[in-house]
Amino acid sequence: MSPTAFAFLLTAPAAVPLAVAGAYALAAPRTRPTAKAFVAELTGARQRASAQGSVLVAEAPEPDQVSARHGQDWAGLVSPAVILTCGSLLAADVVDDGPKAVYSGLLRADALTAWMLLVVGAVALIACGSAPAYLAGERAAGRASVRTVWRYHVLVQAFLSAMCLAVVTANLGVLWVAIEATTIVTAFLVGHRRTRTSVEAAWKYVVICSAGIALAFLGTVLIYYAARQAGIAEAWALDWPTLVAHADRLDPAVTRLGITLIVLGYGAKAGLIPLHAWLPDAHSQAPAPISALMSGVLLSVAFAALLRYRVIADAALGPDFTRVLLAGIALLTLTIAAGLLLAQRDYKRMLAYSSMEHMSLIALAAAIGSPLALSAALLHIAGHGLAKATAFCASGQILHLRGTSKIGRVRGLLAQVPWLGALFGLAIVGLLGFPPFSLFASELGIARAGFAADGGLGWVMAAALLLVLIAFAALATRATHMLLGPAPDAETAQAESPSALWPLVMGLAACTALGIATGPLGDLLTQAATVLERA
Amino acid sequence: MNNSLFTQLLDLACGAFLLAAVVVLWRRELAAIVRLFALQGLALAAIALLLGLHEDRWDLIVVAAGIGALRASLLPYLIRRALDALVADRTRDQDGARAYTYSEEVRETEPLVNVAASLLTAAALTLLAYAVARPLVELDPTPATRALPVGLAVVLIGFFVLVTRRRALAQVVGFLLLDNGITATAFLAASGVPLIVELGVSFDVLLAVLVLQLLTARVREAFGTTDIDDLRELHD
Amino acid sequence: MNTVGYTAIALQVGAVAAGAPLLTGLMRQTRALLEGRAGAGLLQPWRDMRKLLRKEPITPVGTGPAFRWAPPLLVATSLVLAVLVPLVSTVTPVHARADLIVVVALLALGTLALALAGLDTGTAFGGMGASREMTIAALVEPTILMSVFALSIPAGSTNLPVIVAGAVDQPARLTSPAGLLAIAALSVAVLAESGRLPVDNPSTHLELTMVHEAMVLEYAGPDLALVEFGAQLRLAVLLGLLASLFAPWGIATSASLTAVLLALLLVVLKVALLGMALAAAEVFWAKLRLFRVPELLAGSFLLALLAVTASYFLGGER
Repeated sequence: MSPTAFAFLLTAPAAVPLAVAGAYALAAPRTRPTAKAFVAELTGARQRASAQGSVLVAEAPEPDQVSARHGQDWAGLVSPAVILTCGSLLAADVVDDGPKAVYSGLLRADALTAWMLLVVGAVALIACGSAPAYLAGERAAGRASVRTVWRYHVLVQAFLSAMCLAVVTANLGVLWVAIEATTIVTAFLVGHRRTRTSVEAAWKYVVICSAGIALAFLGTVLIYYAARQAGIAEAWALDWPTLVAHADRLDPAVTRLGITLIVLGYGAKAGLIPLHAWLPDAHSQAPAPISALMSGVLLSVAFAALLRYRVIADAALGPDFTRVLLAGIALLTLTIAAGLLLAQRDYKRMLAYSSMEHMSLIALAAAIGSPLALSAALLHIAGHGLAKATAFCASGQILHLRGTSKIGRVRGLLAQVPWLGALFGLAIVGLLGFPPFSLFASELGIARAGFAADGGLGWVMAAALLLVLIAFAALATRATHMLLGPAPDAETAQAESPSALWPLVMGLAACTALGIATGPLGDLLTQAATVLERA
Repeated sequence: MNNSLFTQLLDLACGAFLLAAVVVLWRRELAAIVRLFALQGLALAAIALLLGLHEDRWDLIVVAAGIGALRASLLPYLIRRALDALVADRTRDQDGARAYTYSEEVRETEPLVNVAASLLTAAALTLLAYAVARPLVELDPTPATRALPVGLAVVLIGFFVLVTRRRALAQVVGFLLLDNGITATAFLAASGVPLIVELGVSFDVLLAVLVLQLLTARVREAFGTTDIDDLRELHD
Repeated sequence: MNTVGYTAIALQVGAVAAGAPLLTGLMRQTRALLEGRAGAGLLQPWRDMRKLLRKEPITPVGTGPAFRWAPPLLVATSLVLAVLVPLVSTVTPVHARADLIVVVALLALGTLALALAGLDTGTAFGGMGASREMTIAALVEPTILMSVFALSIPAGSTNLPVIVAGAVDQPARLTSPAGLLAIAALSVAVLAESGRLPVDNPSTHLELTMVHEAMVLEYAGPDLALVEFGAQLRLAVLLGLLASLFAPWGIATSASLTAVLLALLLVVLKVALLGMALAAAEVFWAKLRLFRVPELLAGSFLLALLAVTASYFLGGER
């Protein structure tokens, strides 16, 4: 592939969503109180009023505009499609030719980049695919104005752009900027509905995540300091491949401090202890497609950053440091998630805690660090992203249907809405780690790698499995409670629109396919694990 | 600039930088806290400027000017405006009871940790910063890196403000102190991060403050106060 | 050398003893003028003392030795301080004993004696004043220790004359962050230790606010004269210490009589200026509410601690 084409493929995943966001912003309804617009509106209204002699012209809906806007909802699918296409083309290229960098090392593609791009694209496809149904529901309930819908689209596209930038950049400073940008962009998406609870969730989200990620920046600065002292030139001192190549020259004491801060900081974004408190609040208050994106990929993108730093740390400090740190954090997070799952009464929060559970499993896999564990972790990232996005999108529709997010008040979903109920149930089954979904394969892989590893990790793995079992029981009983039982009222049985369900079917199908055979993705997965493993 | 004068001026700027953070803990009026934050921004710009002059790097001097513009004027102005908006909102319907709540809104009346204990904690945090920074200083002992603990101490104090202050805007200042501390650390350790990262970070911080400012207005709209401690609806 | 040294000490003690009431008079007069009153004149404290000394000594029923011995002890510690603290010259026969720790311990001894006397009377005010005084002292003494300690690090000794002589040699020490922080901390501590605004108001007997006055409320006659004299001495010595530490220029570092005389003149001027500045400031200050005093003192302690860390870590190898 020519370098220009390669550069284009690397730029597109971040640039196209940004362009789409810009297009949305330009096509936005002009409700800004600028003087010119106001005068134009005033004269227009006066003309119409004089022509028709009616007073209520301004309030009359304009049908063509509405349908056009619904078309806009679907236009958001352009970016996931582009991300997926670029991801697969890049994957084909890097599997054959190895990693390549463009723009003097600013953007870089290796197998891990391609893998993460594919995950982001797939989950974004599910989330953007369910957005029209979600927005239609909000419009019907009168909670969404033209302006809020427009803002929703702009912010979602910017969110996708920031995540893709975090994935494709090789500069650790730019990586930080991109991840912090996701926090800022999603703040208003979390507080989208402006109720007391969603404003509270948004505030906690921004404050905790920004402060946490600021720690990661301090860590980045320290690594940069160590790199400069190790004689690496300014332009390359934050370049990931350079740092990996020269990691043995970094000062161990400074690197240790830096890595600890980075694990805490990016761990906050990935939902790990001790800065995890935002996660259940934000996930439960955000609109369902946003929860799907945040839980499905934002956590993993932050964790992918951690995985990259782990390579540097292992080379500079030996594997024991990150192993102890990550295993400890993983076990603590798992304990909290399992404990709070047991006491959970809200199904969106339940899904959020389940995300914490899965992220800690991935962290445990990273702590083990063998090739098997790393490929299992990457597969788990993909499987969890797909299944959790499906579950969140389904839960959004359940919330719309029943008007409550309390588990106790939802019964008989299968009887009322068989398709949606079945899809939600299957997504939960997938999250519980049953075959044929890919989470079965990846959890099995992590467990095998854990028991094969030496140095007490077997015991850690055993404790983790016990905690996973607790979470399993809690999740299973609550899901059963929601799905089974008689339908609440015969007359509330509603027709289900296929347009709302196809993304969910697709997500589950992809998750199953990954679980049965990785197919052409197998090579990519192996190579991505190799990228993370070399030290 | 000769070495001892550089060291002395740098120490002076670092001392002012740390002192501003400490006095933030001391003061209760949000307006005073914002002023102190602006002063700290100036000290930070001075640190960058001194390093730029010392190393004869023009880009650093430009960065120093940018930092001064952002952290000593634009960000304080934004917070100040949010504060004035709160006051204006209250005075519009000012009867007896309202006037009382209005005066509460612009003061950090009762932080979660009282002021005396906060100050003593700040002392402990400073010592902690010195202890933690030992390996950093030992790696390359120069006048600049010897002042590194100051940056870390401000990071810790910023974190402390963020955790213990109850007013939304005080928390915003806490977050910004944290960020100032990190920027100072970057300057003292390695004369600043590369320009593209610095630009990205400044842009992110600016956006974060804008977002927090808007959220503050929404918190007040929804809860009738900016006391973050009153936000207790989400829990398990 | 010894004769000049002894002369210096004698001059210093004489100046402090004679000048302390005058300093108080000067401060009251400044304040009166700024507030638009005529004022009682510089000599009023001396006249008060003469009046009190002529009165018959009275002790309340039930008080013990703590009450009786506190006034002489207070005056004695203050006079010893006046001997030790290098105000006029750094080369005196006692300069080896003028250690920072000794100075702070003597200050604390005086404070403790008064607090015990306040408790000994068994009245509500005495106990209240003593408890308040101890609360303040618990934060003030460490602050003084810390801030002078910060200055002693560059000098390499806790001996006050050595510190002062070092500062004369290298004025840059005072403008370093450590020096500036120490000045700020020590100033606050001196205000608190000598019972001035904004920590304590020396001219009020309001039970909600008084600290020092509450402890000495039961004293009358010659005892009261001694207590007041002791307090005046302490203020003079502390202001003198402040002047010597942070504006040491002119202090005699050699054993020549002219230098000593010049230094005496300068120190009197410096202390008078400081006192007038303090009095002027007090016109504009309000007393802090009692429960906010610990905040102020914790703040000054923090400043002192920062000064120590700064001089220890930043100062390194210059």
